[in-house]
Amino acid sequence: MLEFLSHISLSSLLQQILVGLSRTTILFIVASGLSLVLGVLRIPNLAHGSFYMIGAFLTYSVAAAVGGKAGFWVALAAAPLGVALISLVMERGLFCHLYDREHLMLLLFTFSFTLVFGDIVKIIWGSDFRSISTPAVFQGSLAVFGLPLPRYNVFLLVIGPLVALGLWVLTQKTKIGKIARAAAVDREMVGAVGINVSLVFSAVFVIGCFLAGLGGALVAPTQNITQGMDHSIIMEAFLIVIVGGLGNIWGALLGALIFGLTDAIGILLWPQFAIVFPYAVVVTILMIRPKGLLKSTW
Amino acid sequence: MPDIKFNVKRVLWLMGIGLLFLFLPRFLPRFYVYLTALILLTGLLATSLNLVLGFGGMYQFHHALFYGIGAYSLALMLTKSVLPAWTGFVVAPLVSAGMGYVIGLICVRLSKLYFGMLQISLGSLVWAIVFRWYSFTGGDDGIHGIPLPKMLSASHGAYYFTLVVTAISLFLMYRIVHSPFGRTFQAIRDNPERCEAIGIHVRQHQLAGEVIAGFFAGVAGTLFVTVEASVFPDLMFWTLSLEILIMCLLGGWFTFFGPMLGAAIMVTLRTFVGIYTEYWTLILGIVLMLLIFFMPDGVLGKILKSRAQATEARG
Amino acid sequence: MKKSFWMVVCGMLFISLTAAPLIAADPIKVGIVDCYTGPPSTYTNDVRDAFKLATDKINAKGGVLGRKIEFTTRDSKFKVDLGLSAAKELIMREKVNLLMGTINSAEALAISDLCKTEKIPLLVTFSKSDAITGEKGHRYVFSMNENTSMAGKAAAVALSKKPYTRYWIGGDDYEYGHAIADGVWQNLKKLKPGVELLGQTWWKVGESDFTPYITAMLSAKPDAVIIATGGKNCVPFLKAAETTEFNKRVPFYMHTATELSTLQPLGLDAPEGVLGTSNYFFYYPETPENKEFVKEFQQAFGRPPKVGALYGYITAAFIAKAYEKAGTIDTEKFIDALEGMTVDSPVGKLTIRPYDHQVMLPMYMGVTQKAPGYDFLIASDIVTISGEDAMPSIEEIKKARGQ
Repeated sequence: MLEFLSHISLSSLLQQILVGLSRTTILFIVASGLSLVLGVLRIPNLAHGSFYMIGAFLTYSVAAAVGGKAGFWVALAAAPLGVALISLVMERGLFCHLYDREHLMLLLFTFSFTLVFGDIVKIIWGSDFRSISTPAVFQGSLAVFGLPLPRYNVFLLVIGPLVALGLWVLTQKTKIGKIARAAAVDREMVGAVGINVSLVFSAVFVIGCFLAGLGGALVAPTQNITQGMDHSIIMEAFLIVIVGGLGNIWGALLGALIFGLTDAIGILLWPQFAIVFPYAVVVTILMIRPKGLLKSTW
Repeated sequence: MPDIKFNVKRVLWLMGIGLLFLFLPRFLPRFYVYLTALILLTGLLATSLNLVLGFGGMYQFHHALFYGIGAYSLALMLTKSVLPAWTGFVVAPLVSAGMGYVIGLICVRLSKLYFGMLQISLGSLVWAIVFRWYSFTGGDDGIHGIPLPKMLSASHGAYYFTLVVTAISLFLMYRIVHSPFGRTFQAIRDNPERCEAIGIHVRQHQLAGEVIAGFFAGVAGTLFVTVEASVFPDLMFWTLSLEILIMCLLGGWFTFFGPMLGAAIMVTLRTFVGIYTEYWTLILGIVLMLLIFFMPDGVLGKILKSRAQATEARG
Repeated sequence: MKKSFWMVVCGMLFISLTAAPLIAADPIKVGIVDCYTGPPSTYTNDVRDAFKLATDKINAKGGVLGRKIEFTTRDSKFKVDLGLSAAKELIMREKVNLLMGTINSAEALAISDLCKTEKIPLLVTFSKSDAITGEKGHRYVFSMNENTSMAGKAAAVALSKKPYTRYWIGGDDYEYGHAIADGVWQNLKKLKPGVELLGQTWWKVGESDFTPYITAMLSAKPDAVIIATGGKNCVPFLKAAETTEFNKRVPFYMHTATELSTLQPLGLDAPEGVLGTSNYFFYYPETPENKEFVKEFQQAFGRPPKVGALYGYITAAFIAKAYEKAGTIDTEKFIDALEGMTVDSPVGKLTIRPYDHQVMLPMYMGVTQKAPGYDFLIASDIVTISGEDAMPSIEEIKKARGQ
């Protein structure tokens, strides 16, 4: 292990931190959607990872169909919408009938969707290797501290805070945001005041899944789009949400930062066990503060 | 949950089933004997989960952890240590029980979803370590060709061993569920606040339940090594934990034998559906959806319920 | 009375159905366990397709010993446990005569172990760990492709001629990754004792984002990097290399980097200047055998053959010829016949070395490059190393097996 440390300079550490931060963006976007759904609807949506994966695959298809320079941008707009649509159908058609069941049932029901979507993706897109190129404007890399940082990662670094800001505005400043927050705390009261709680749930669910799809679309150029994406992201997203505090958007950001940074730095310091660092940090935090770092809505 | 009355009919039933299992290898081809052994140990695993899930009402989301730990403990002892094989079989479930204790200690402070999620994160941490410690645990490759004692690798030796161990374990678990401890445990599931109020140490009972469930999951893990002579990190991955949950649900988690039935259905479906189509997960997902909508009490639960209703109707 | 009548009818039906196959000559059943999901499928589809092409030809001519060769596939999804259960099911339920597969080296080793116990021959296609025929080799396992020792030797020959002395190794943390890294490094040290290993980075199989690993490796400033990726990560890694311009900043070597299976999925996005070893190109050597093979494959499947096709094709050839020579479907006689057997192939005559059951494939070293007329990269500056030269010596095998 010591041999690695001798090669680490401040610049490579800083550069690795930037890489970690750009990965944080994706984690945050996905986790925030999960947190929303968990906070307001009280549903641990295991299918969230599937929506992320579908977002990535849709991005691939739309980008390939449209082609050329605009392909990715069109896909970036269309794919999350497509995912949102699928989630709406899923919610209205099946989910809303189960809201009065126990949590375990809901959890397993979302898991059944993970199973179904996993194979449907395989049926529609096949199991071959799929990848899309980074959009032309982001190809190449910038020299940051003397080491290459892909331009696309810089793009992600900018998008992350923008999405966070947008979500903050949505939940704090808009009417629907306020209703959703109220419903998270006391759904009966909200219903008593005459608001259709069921519709609120629907809207929140769709927004949450939209975010998952957005995460998938953004991640598509950076890695190969394949089955298994759903499994790898969902556990990370869940841990981030719990660490941050259920239903808390800033908590999701904090959790994503912790996760992304410990992972990236871990790769620099101890690559073999890098995967262990984020889990170890999460476990430690949860043992000290089981309800998460920031206030949760439960 | 109806008590089993000690009557002649039941005893004959049990003996009949026992004889059936005993003579199975004589008339079934090898593959089906292997499959039966797999069903038995998976059923044992599911039943051990149901101890805390159905009878304890605890959200045990990462039960596979104890299973995997038991399997890996035995595998590592058989391949890396010079101790006689039989010590491994005894030590492995104890390691799982120990892990149950540690995890329980950390998690039982919380309830419901938090309990489950913390367990998943702890379990994932252990999984991550096993997954990446290539030099010790074989990492992603797993450990294969594990040397088993001659008696177990002889034809059908593994099957009989699994049969005996499963039968004994089921018997023990049955007794535990119907003991005063078991009744208290179920009372805690139904109304924890009331139990606290009358002086029962809820957390301690739950911790004890974790240890016992972990122990039997570890036993199931050792049986896995016996039947397959291999271990892989997937044995403690969260998707397996959910599959075991599904087995309990499928069979009926308010009954004792429900999980075994659920395990039998899952393993059989998985094997045979997997031969004809590669979309086994899709089928499982749909089955699960239908189950939740139409049969939340599970197969056995539904059967028992309809029989109870029939006897009521007959009055 | 009615009940017993039906029971008799059912019984007769049952007997006739089970007896029927005994009357016709049983086909030779081959079970293929492999990964047909995700990135590895670019490699494995060709194995299966070429095997089908070859066995169809053989069956059309009357089969082997009057029997047809039939095969059935199982998808192991690159997971060892799935592959192992599939192998068990094929042996115990389908009662195959032979097993074939798989691309995952760890899986191949596990199945090889099973085959040793069950005494069913395993013909390994694509898995390259030298442990398969080396340290863990036995009577019932044969390798139909090159192994990490051979690739390592070939790579070391090329790398030793370059001016690089400070190396970094990055690879997949599983059997194959470690085996290929060892194969290259041990041989390189022998040929050029002055080389220095600065450090190693191991990531998991199926790693989704290589960016942090690439930046970590670059920060060490090595002269060159040995990339030890396997079926699942080769293509994704090359993509990441291109995106991060890894190939422009430091030269690196990857086994199979010059192969069409690896380069085709990336099209013109693949990185140039990557050193690679491989076993087959449809465009080289331009011998009549190769051209004929390419034409047949192209006609049957609408695409040029990749290295997997070579493996699938020669496996079928070996199976057919060995059974013919043995004159019976008895397993032990089949194995005896297969040892030392030679067949014709698109890359020339190929022989299975009797001692370790390893086919002696020639290796080609090359560099990736864009070329006019192709929408994927091809290998340039190709150097050939013959099978015999690339093989590890029998003494080395003996040592590995502890004999």
